[in-house]
Amino acid sequence: MRIHDQQLRADRMVFYEKDVDRLNGELDAFLELSKARCALLIDRDGHQVTRRGEAVGTSADSISALIAGSFAATKEMARLLGEAEFTVMFHQGKRDSIQLQLVGERTLLAVLFDERTNLGLVRFYATEACQRLSDVFDSMSQEDRTAGLSSQFSADATAALDQLF
Amino acid sequence: MVQINFAQKQINAKIVYYGPGMSGKTTNLEVVHQRAPSNNRGELTSISTDGDRTLFFDYMPLDLGTIAGMKTCFQMYTVPGQVYYNSTRKLVLQGVDGVIFVADSSAKSMEQNLESLRNLEENLNEYGKSLATLPHVIQYNKRDLPDALPVQELEAQLNLNGAQTFEACAATGEGVFPTLKGLAAAVLKNIQNECGGGTGRTAFHSVAARPGVTSSGPQPRPASMPPAPQRAPQTASTRPQPTGAQASSSAPSGAPLKQTGFQPRTAALAAEPSSAPASAPAGQLMQNAAAAAPQPKPAQRPRPAAARPQAAPAPAPAKPAKAAKAPAPAAQPKRRAAAQPSSAAAPKLNTSGPSTAKTAAFVIVAAVIGAVVAKFALDFI
Ligand SMILES: Nc1nc2c(ncn2[C@@H]2O[C@H](COP(=O)(O)OP(=O)(O)OP(=O)(O)O)[C@@H](O)[C@H]2O)c(=O)[nH]1
Ligand SMILES: [Mg+2]
Repeated sequence: MRIHDQQLRADRMVFYEKDVDRLNGELDAFLELSKARCALLIDRDGHQVTRRGEAVGTSADSISALIAGSFAATKEMARLLGEAEFTVMFHQGKRDSIQLQLVGERTLLAVLFDERTNLGLVRFYATEACQRLSDVFDSMSQEDRTAGLSSQFSADATAALDQLF
Repeated sequence: MVQINFAQKQINAKIVYYGPGMSGKTTNLEVVHQRAPSNNRGELTSISTDGDRTLFFDYMPLDLGTIAGMKTCFQMYTVPGQVYYNSTRKLVLQGVDGVIFVADSSAKSMEQNLESLRNLEENLNEYGKSLATLPHVIQYNKRDLPDALPVQELEAQLNLNGAQTFEACAATGEGVFPTLKGLAAAVLKNIQNECGGGTGRTAFHSVAARPGVTSSGPQPRPASMPPAPQRAPQTASTRPQPTGAQASSSAPSGAPLKQTGFQPRTAALAAEPSSAPASAPAGQLMQNAAAAAPQPKPAQRPRPAAARPQAAPAPAPAKPAKAAKAPAPAAQPKRRAAAQPSSAAAPKLNTSGPSTAKTAAFVIVAAVIGAVVAKFALDFI
């Protein structure tokens, strides 16, 4: 029950509004500079943290899961090849391209961009943005991440399950 | 790892269907996808081989509703069960919050069940977790098989941690939702225990005042609709239609998945003529399932391979799994029936040597997945 326990803390990602506001601020600035279409922050486990820029259809969840899976596979590949880590991945399309980059230990930045900009520009600003985002995550990890769900949660959960199942 | 996002007022937990190859993990997820209300479920994405064996994972988000003001979502995955794919299987397990172990009840699958269970514990240990503490349930699937072992025997061999267990026939949908509900309850309880307010939380104040945290009842759910057809023919244009045993054990098909309703227990029952009354509690239902479920012979399984959609039944035009996959409908039934243990990667990935070293296969898998991600993402911008 005590969240101060190290293991428990490592087991959970808690984002408060102010965290996401800061992350969004960084992403907005990055999109402005790089002229990319969309930036997604994705937890290593495949959960989306936040998204800025143009919508990615209704499938943002699936995209997040695929990106996380893809990145995990690449990382494992690096390990097998004796490389510490591939920190950047790039997929080029005819019109649109996507770049994936590691932010700190456990988050990915996915940038979708088209011919309005170019890889060089995106990569330059993304690297800068990753540093700043990483700082935000660092400062988050310093704080007490106690989640503080309502005490109502348990009763509500039972009701929700009974309703859905 | 549970992600709690107060900005989006959302809780995300990762659920993984684990178990030996062909035990019915993908089938479970497909049933959930077909029968969950359309408001609650997202798309089902599969990275699988031509033979419909899972290559990396199947994925589907499921919205459980609003709990204490937080939209609570399960990110649901299946792993590839084949021994060969352990490296990708392990990746899917990363950050898992709850496991549904799908065991094959068939007597000849016992060894694979045990091996998979061992492998699960091993892989969990690599992430610093263990079945001893991780919320999990066990599903004894394929209760309809003639050589299904008695439950007591399965219990004795497989349920070493005293997990909650469920009997199921995923092919007809029976038992799929009770299993998921059992796990969901355990996972949510765990979230409450670790993150809950109530008993003297310390840092609760920092968020208690936020609107997202005030408790409110669950959202009203759409009224249940008629049972979903088994294997709705989303891919009808490219896939052979289900016939025979399939048709006879199914509700009338034809409705697109998007419109299918949700009646977990009753839907399973409606699709299954000889089942228990809809009001039966889960445990009782399972007993009935064992006792009364029809016993299709292997030859006329309720879900012939040909009827299996490419596990991507939503109507979006370009599916990632399909995009990376050379469709081979004709070959599929045979491949699936043959159940080759590790035949998978070679045909789809066009490697010349099916017995290539693990590393090489892995590299290729990763490359394909990369391409899939790019394709998928770009298609949807
Ligand atoms: N008789 C019977 N067959 C089932 C049942 N559930 C699934 N099957 C069949 O078992 C086969 C394998 O099912 P899948 O769901 O693809 O198995 P899986 O566990 O995802 O397999 P991998 O992806 O290789 O790990 C399919 O032909 C299903 O139709 C069941 O309850 N009874
Ligand atoms: Mg599968």
